[in-house]
Amino acid sequence: MNITTISLLFHIILVPEIFLGISIIYLVLHCLFVGYNRNNKFFLFEKSTLFLISLVIIMVCFLLINQNFLDLQISGFSNCFISDVLSNISRIIIGITSFIFFLVTEHYIGTQKINSFEYYIIFLFGVLGTFLICTANDLLAAYLSIELQGLSFYLLASFNKNSSYSVENGLKYFILGSFSSGLFLYGSSILYGLFGTLNFTDFFDLTEDSTSNYIYCPDIFQYPLILILVSLLFKLAIAPFHVWLPDIYEGSPFSSTFFFAVVPKLSIFILFLKIFNYCFFNLVSYLMEILVFIAVFSVIVGSFGGLEQRKLKSLLAYSSIGHMGYLLIVFSLPNNEGFQLGFCYLTIYMISGICFWIILMLITVKNLYLKKRNKDLTDLILLYKSNLGLSISLNVILFSIAGFPPLIGFLVKIGLFFATIEISYYLVSILSIFCSVISTFYYIRVIKILYFETVLVGKLYYPIKNQIIFILLVLVYFLIFLFVRPNLLFFISYKIGFGF
Amino acid sequence: MIYPNNLLFCILLIPLLGSIFLMTVSFKYSKFLKSIALTIACITFVFSLILWFFFDKSLGSFQFCTSQVWFLEYSLTFSLGVDGISLFFVILTTLLIPICLLISWTSVNHSLKIYLVLFLIMESMLIGVFCILDILLFYIFFESVLIPMFLIIGIWGSRERKIRASFLFFLYTLFGSVSMLLSILYIYYQSGTTDYKVLLSFSFSFFEQKFLWFSFFLSFATKVPMIPAHLWLPEAHVEAPTSGSVVLAGVLLKLGVYGFIRFSLPLFPEACFYFSPMVYSLAGAGIVYASFTAIRQTDFKRIVAYTSIAHMNLVILGIFSFNSIGIEGAILQSLSHGFVASGLFMTIGVVYERYHTRMVRYYGGLAHTMPLYVFIFLFFTMANIGLPGTSSFIGEFLILTGSFQSNTSITLIGATSMVIGGCYSLWLFNRISYGNLKTQHFIEFLDVNKLEFLIFLPLIFGTILMGLLPVIFLDYLHMSVNSLIEFIYF
Repeated sequence: MNITTISLLFHIILVPEIFLGISIIYLVLHCLFVGYNRNNKFFLFEKSTLFLISLVIIMVCFLLINQNFLDLQISGFSNCFISDVLSNISRIIIGITSFIFFLVTEHYIGTQKINSFEYYIIFLFGVLGTFLICTANDLLAAYLSIELQGLSFYLLASFNKNSSYSVENGLKYFILGSFSSGLFLYGSSILYGLFGTLNFTDFFDLTEDSTSNYIYCPDIFQYPLILILVSLLFKLAIAPFHVWLPDIYEGSPFSSTFFFAVVPKLSIFILFLKIFNYCFFNLVSYLMEILVFIAVFSVIVGSFGGLEQRKLKSLLAYSSIGHMGYLLIVFSLPNNEGFQLGFCYLTIYMISGICFWIILMLITVKNLYLKKRNKDLTDLILLYKSNLGLSISLNVILFSIAGFPPLIGFLVKIGLFFATIEISYYLVSILSIFCSVISTFYYIRVIKILYFETVLVGKLYYPIKNQIIFILLVLVYFLIFLFVRPNLLFFISYKIGFGF
Repeated sequence: MIYPNNLLFCILLIPLLGSIFLMTVSFKYSKFLKSIALTIACITFVFSLILWFFFDKSLGSFQFCTSQVWFLEYSLTFSLGVDGISLFFVILTTLLIPICLLISWTSVNHSLKIYLVLFLIMESMLIGVFCILDILLFYIFFESVLIPMFLIIGIWGSRERKIRASFLFFLYTLFGSVSMLLSILYIYYQSGTTDYKVLLSFSFSFFEQKFLWFSFFLSFATKVPMIPAHLWLPEAHVEAPTSGSVVLAGVLLKLGVYGFIRFSLPLFPEACFYFSPMVYSLAGAGIVYASFTAIRQTDFKRIVAYTSIAHMNLVILGIFSFNSIGIEGAILQSLSHGFVASGLFMTIGVVYERYHTRMVRYYGGLAHTMPLYVFIFLFFTMANIGLPGTSSFIGEFLILTGSFQSNTSITLIGATSMVIGGCYSLWLFNRISYGNLKTQHFIEFLDVNKLEFLIFLPLIFGTILMGLLPVIFLDYLHMSVNSLIEFIYF
């Protein structure tokens, strides 16, 4: 095997991304010229476009699963991108999530009249950016992929052109997001000045040896690392940097919120791990205490802030803040088990998040969509009388998110508390466990609204498609089944942790 | 002795699988749903009787042990087993669930399917609590019971206040048990296992024991309930439907008792002795306070709720007497309370279904028109007081004898409960049954019908059986309790 074939082989690692990029370009042309419906004056979806998009996503998923057989660590594109078990599995999860997202939102965006064809094109760009973040092995590549992901999110947030909220919201998201990206860029430029490289592997090699010159003055590394840290925390909406989250959730359409509430958590956490637990692992030991403090603060904010929320999306936003706090606790633990556990937590959080957003999208009230887009908690009143299956699954999901026993959410939370006790962070575990009890209060308030109210308000829902119900059933089944056989999930995460 | 393998798994799984089957049946066939649920509950009861039949009373160890690897990562196993202590709690659970389904045979009409499913799931969880031999899984089952009960109180409760009651029930219990979770994790970290049988041979230092005991105490004391955390109980009892109250009083309160006997005593014996003055004073205060409060209540169900607080606190005195008489008495008294309090709640349910009020002052002179009902009510009232010949007498007598050996003065306070108990029970009975018939409130009168009488029958039979022949229960308890005592003193 000569050198050229090897360098060609390196390009295998980005085959799904390259395929996705080319197909997006084709899809744009297709929608403009072939899929253009002359009866409408707008570029709306055609059946053929939808079919093509689903084909593209399925193909990408297949390519990703195909990639997974390469358990090796291969880097390519002059070490800018790397393919390992972590990136492969996370890309598969994101691919499946985006396929689910596509299937579920198709009906919703039709009813909300935001079904111009750009919606899914932008969405696919977001997926591309997310994939690239998972594989990035270079600060600049990471920055560019974050921007690709972020820009599509800003557009998706402001997609509802008829609503001034949505437009304002997109602008807000854009300004805040680009500010945090600027911090990231600034931090990485200082790091470039200090190290002369931007590559993660090089960073690791340079800081690994404790006798090297870099370790003698670790103070100087604080500033760029803290800048990058703040930027990533901003993207994840962890507590001191969380204020934008409920606002952005409220303004944007449900389908868009679904996407940027679930998917980027995984990708950004992976970047976070790569930078702090891999490259600068030897330099950031002093940062760990700050991280734990931030995490606990975030848990507290998430659990107390959610108590007074009257709107579904704000409730979910605060729930997400709390969960990101728990995740940060797990990831800031200085051992490999914490990392495995964090991956499980993240997966479970994503599954339950997807379920929750699917249900919220399914209960779109007919005839009211122009007057009231932001759902109150009271929209769920006595759902169990109109749709028993939906309310039972919502019940299961809520208890799972709250971390209540006979569900998988409890198991990952137990793992978290155990990991904190193992390294004798007793205060952290006590605080987080009590915060989880407090946050249970607002989850069971939703259940109260589902079941206990006495006033039945007549509402008309859109009919629910069978495919969506099927997806929901499978996911809810996962939430219950994984509790009976938890080894499956933990085995995957163990494999990831081993390869990391 | 040869016994059927995997019997406990069967008992645990039958209600669970049954509830899954019920979910697939359409809600239109309400009669079919009811009869299927009742059949499943009865089959479970028969299986638990088989358990009793095959149980070897000459052994103090766990029997019918089965285990299954559950969670490889943390080496947790799903292991089940019963000894004499848990055997009767399992039978009590499986007896009360079909009774609960029968109580609501006609009264629950809306969302019947969830109702039946929730009851069957709850039965499975409760059996799991009593059979499991792993602390972490015990916690899991212990908490899981909350969800069905929360929904039962919330959905089928009668008044607006039910929401407050269900929240109080949920959050009090959750706050209590969360501290138990922390200490379970600490135990796992220290000993490397959560298997109960292994932990029995593991000894903690006194300092650790104090913390661990206290966090377990918080959880079980909320469940019993002991005095500072008792507020949820009257609320939950009053607002729950009759069947919910029956399960709550009959089984759920026993979880705390069971937890004390099973975990607090053998795992942290020194801390038990260390904290026993606190427990005595709390339990004594609880007995006196709850008994006096019961006298001045106006709500029928609230009175019975406060009596059950008083009785359960007496049970706590029995447990913390640290001798076999007291502990056996405590188990017997909690079983008897399972029968008697359930019977009382069912008598309330009978009149509530007819007149839709629980205020005592609306009732009066029912003896004129409902003689059979008054007889049943009288029987359970007498059993509640602890009349010789009924089960409560045996339980209270054993508890007081046991605690007299360890602490005389607290026994004196505990014994007042029998006197004050006589006061409120007789006064309540007097107000309901005698006097003038209040025809300005009620016009139609209907005595207990056949179905209701049949529901009362097993409870009456059980109460008398336990009162006249306590030996058949105590025989099964002796060996297990003695082996428990060994863990306390040696």
